[in-house]
Amino acid sequence: MKKLNIAVTGLNATDNPAPGIPVIRSIRHDLNNIGKIIGLTYDAFDTGIYDGDLLDEVYLIPYPSEGEDALLKRIEYIHARTPIDILIPTLDSEITNVNRLMTELTSMGIKLFLPTEEQFRLRSKALLSEFCKKHGISCPRTMVINDPRLLNDALKAYGTPIVVKGTFYEAYIAYSFEEASISFQRLKAKWGLPIIVQEHLPGEEYDVACVGSGTGKLIGAVPMRKLRLTEKGKAWAGVTIKDTVLAKLSEKLIKALKWRGPCELEFLKEQKSGKYYLVEINPRFPSWIYLSAGAGVNLPATVVQLALGKKIKPLAPPQAGISFVRHATDLVCPMRYLESLTTLGELIYR
Amino acid sequence: MATTLKTQRNLKEEITLTPNGFLFDHVTGLTYTVNETGGLILKHLMEGGTAAEALKAMTGEYDISESMARKDLEEFIEQVRSFGVL
Repeated sequence: MKKLNIAVTGLNATDNPAPGIPVIRSIRHDLNNIGKIIGLTYDAFDTGIYDGDLLDEVYLIPYPSEGEDALLKRIEYIHARTPIDILIPTLDSEITNVNRLMTELTSMGIKLFLPTEEQFRLRSKALLSEFCKKHGISCPRTMVINDPRLLNDALKAYGTPIVVKGTFYEAYIAYSFEEASISFQRLKAKWGLPIIVQEHLPGEEYDVACVGSGTGKLIGAVPMRKLRLTEKGKAWAGVTIKDTVLAKLSEKLIKALKWRGPCELEFLKEQKSGKYYLVEINPRFPSWIYLSAGAGVNLPATVVQLALGKKIKPLAPPQAGISFVRHATDLVCPMRYLESLTTLGELIYR
Repeated sequence: MATTLKTQRNLKEEITLTPNGFLFDHVTGLTYTVNETGGLILKHLMEGGTAAEALKAMTGEYDISESMARKDLEEFIEQVRSFGVL
């Protein structure tokens, strides 16, 4: 059996961890035909790159803002050193550039299993409300604005508090026009326009990690309830659940989008009504994805198989009650690792 | 007896109750702890038992009057119902 070299991005695992390291752990958990795991990273201090047990090679790559040409050049260099069989980008901001390089990457023999640009666009925060309306899916009332004066309209329509969201990342809860304006400016400076403003619904958060076939079929789904949150609202502990309503909603969404590849559906179960509202669709694995491997529905390993062109039958849902707890630890390493990354832009473990 | 143990939920499938009184709701992901008496009532409920049977089990297990057991049972049922477990 041919050994696979798999390149994975998103390796910074701080209190807002990227999904790369859990994706690698999942792949290593179930696949035994792994050649090299190649970490692609942006900064020499991205924490996960110092885990030499998980990674074989690490390379710095240009930030997405530098464009797809810079990324292609870097991938060509890496590919010449160690041929990449499969590339798994795990950050929202990377999907567009990687998609634009699909032809070049495919001709190099690098396989991907990603959403199309159109699928990616349809689930964007700015268009999600429209998409939900079209497909009869509940979501919080939303305004997409470019002018901070319109925050007043949102406050009048939705009452307080409101949720002010950046077009790519981050969200703040605002209790007044002044607070909302500060959040607007902060998000605009960081992620640009538009800004998304939503009504705030009190309730519990539920997430579903999914893999779609690209033809409307849901290949696998792992629903999870967050048990502990960080100050940034990220899951620090969670548990698999089994809810037929949530399962049907996930199927409906994947079918409507004809989603190809991994995604995370974020729902809010309203306290008052018990009804699920779709809050976001993230176009990549969540950072808690190792739970899928632990629960026997290994979604990253499934994406590897799909990228190879294998036909995969829809996976049975996981058993309820498999939980995870995140654990921060220290990696100890010689200074030459940092030296190698900062001077050469790469670190070869083996 | 006024208290009904009827529920729309398939408790046998949707709830795990351990001997130590740890309750996990598979649908909501919520967890609870119940005392020994609560565990006894819930076990009856999960097996499709009636309120009268739960009451009989309580008076058989503990040195308690029927009226006191009935009051405890009604309070417990009301509480778990308010949590959405029933």
